[in-house]
Amino acid sequence: MDMVKAAKELLLQDRVDIFLGYHKLDGHQIPHGFTKARVADLDQLEISLNRYPLEKIACDLAQKDPTLKIGILARDCSQRALNLLYTWDQLNPENIETLTVNCCPSSLSTHGDCSYLKPKTTGEYKKAHGIDYNDSPKDFMAEHDSQDRLSRWMYEFQKCIKCYGCRNVCPVCFCKECSLEHPNLVEPGVLPAEVPIFHLIRATHMAGRCIDCGLCEDACPAHIPLRMLYREVNDAVSDIFGYVPGDHIEKSPFSIIGKTVELTPAPMDV
Amino acid sequence: MDCEFVPSVCSYCGTGCGVLFEVIDGRINRTLPLKSHPVNQGKLCIKGWNLHEYINSYMRLKGPLVRENGRLEKATWDEAVNQAARRFTRIKEEHGPDSIGVLVSAKITNEENYLAQKLTRAVIGTNNVDHCARL
Ligand code: SF4
Ligand code: SF4
Ligand code: SF4
Ligand code: SF4
Repeated sequence: MDMVKAAKELLLQDRVDIFLGYHKLDGHQIPHGFTKARVADLDQLEISLNRYPLEKIACDLAQKDPTLKIGILARDCSQRALNLLYTWDQLNPENIETLTVNCCPSSLSTHGDCSYLKPKTTGEYKKAHGIDYNDSPKDFMAEHDSQDRLSRWMYEFQKCIKCYGCRNVCPVCFCKECSLEHPNLVEPGVLPAEVPIFHLIRATHMAGRCIDCGLCEDACPAHIPLRMLYREVNDAVSDIFGYVPGDHIEKSPFSIIGKTVELTPAPMDV
Repeated sequence: MDCEFVPSVCSYCGTGCGVLFEVIDGRINRTLPLKSHPVNQGKLCIKGWNLHEYINSYMRLKGPLVRENGRLEKATWDEAVNQAARRFTRIKEEHGPDSIGVLVSAKITNEENYLAQKLTRAVIGTNNVDHCARL
């Protein structure tokens, strides 16, 4: 496999100190950090249909050693996540090498190495009272009035068990102090989660930030269509500011810390 | 730097969700849900997500303690087990086996729970055995 050869070269030529990919252990496809000392292990490298936030793992490593050179097996979503993490100074692009894998977004493609390319099924009850996973925000806005949209989102939000899994798994949730743990915003130790505020806090933070990898939705035990929510806020960001998170190495229009900027607001279509 | 992932089972409740520990240089740094585990299918509750915190807690008890003159003192396993056996035997002799009750836990395995009830019934001689999950 070319990928194995390329990863071995990265390690043997000292272009990276560690290579983050996947291997199989006890029948589970899980992430693994391959190193030069055990370069032969790379023969077991897998692309894995299960996606884990390798970029988040890279951030964990970079935090322990900012000079560490890291290679990553990168799907399309990983590359968007990396671009975003570069612009937010969480990773140094000079220390990252990627090996890209087939994540063909074309509907003509018969194969892509990604669980995310399979459409999810939405049950009938969810379709009637909640939100279809596969709905596009624009269609959803067009097909339901604001009262109906609110009641559908509230149906989804009230199922939240406040596991914080959406934040914990998210490759672009890297804040040292998270608003979702701020006692003035979200009361600690209280269930059910305060809705919709819990989800709206996260939704506002994902504006200009969410790279649409879908890992949060996969991790949500309450089957809340989180990707759709963040797509909805990001549609507003791209419509108004023309910014698509992770698309380029370009700062979000909201990264204004320490600067004076003029944002030109445009009217929102409500 | 070493970074490996170790599949395991959450020890917080009887559901038994599959977890994946991110181990950096021998220390557990993060817990992720094991996506291919049939029980939880890549999801966890808040306790599972934070398993690494108690594993790394400085307050974690890593060996047996025995109360001597009102103070907890470090002891070896043999000392602790012998001490417990001695005191249980005395209580049983003085007040009968039904004066003892055993509460087992969802944090131990099915097999360990089985052994605990066997110890309670066959060795101590009481049916006073119950489980924390029976709320
Ligand atoms: S889809 Fe979810 S996990 Fe992925 S970047 Fe967006 S918010 Fe984070
Ligand atoms: S939810 Fe918001 S505050 Fe919390 S980590 Fe994510 S972006 Fe940061
Ligand atoms: S993953 Fe789902 S259930 Fe857990 S906190 Fe996020 S929205 Fe709530
Ligand atoms: S993650 Fe939660 S539900 Fe799963 S075993 Fe642990 S405590 Fe139980």
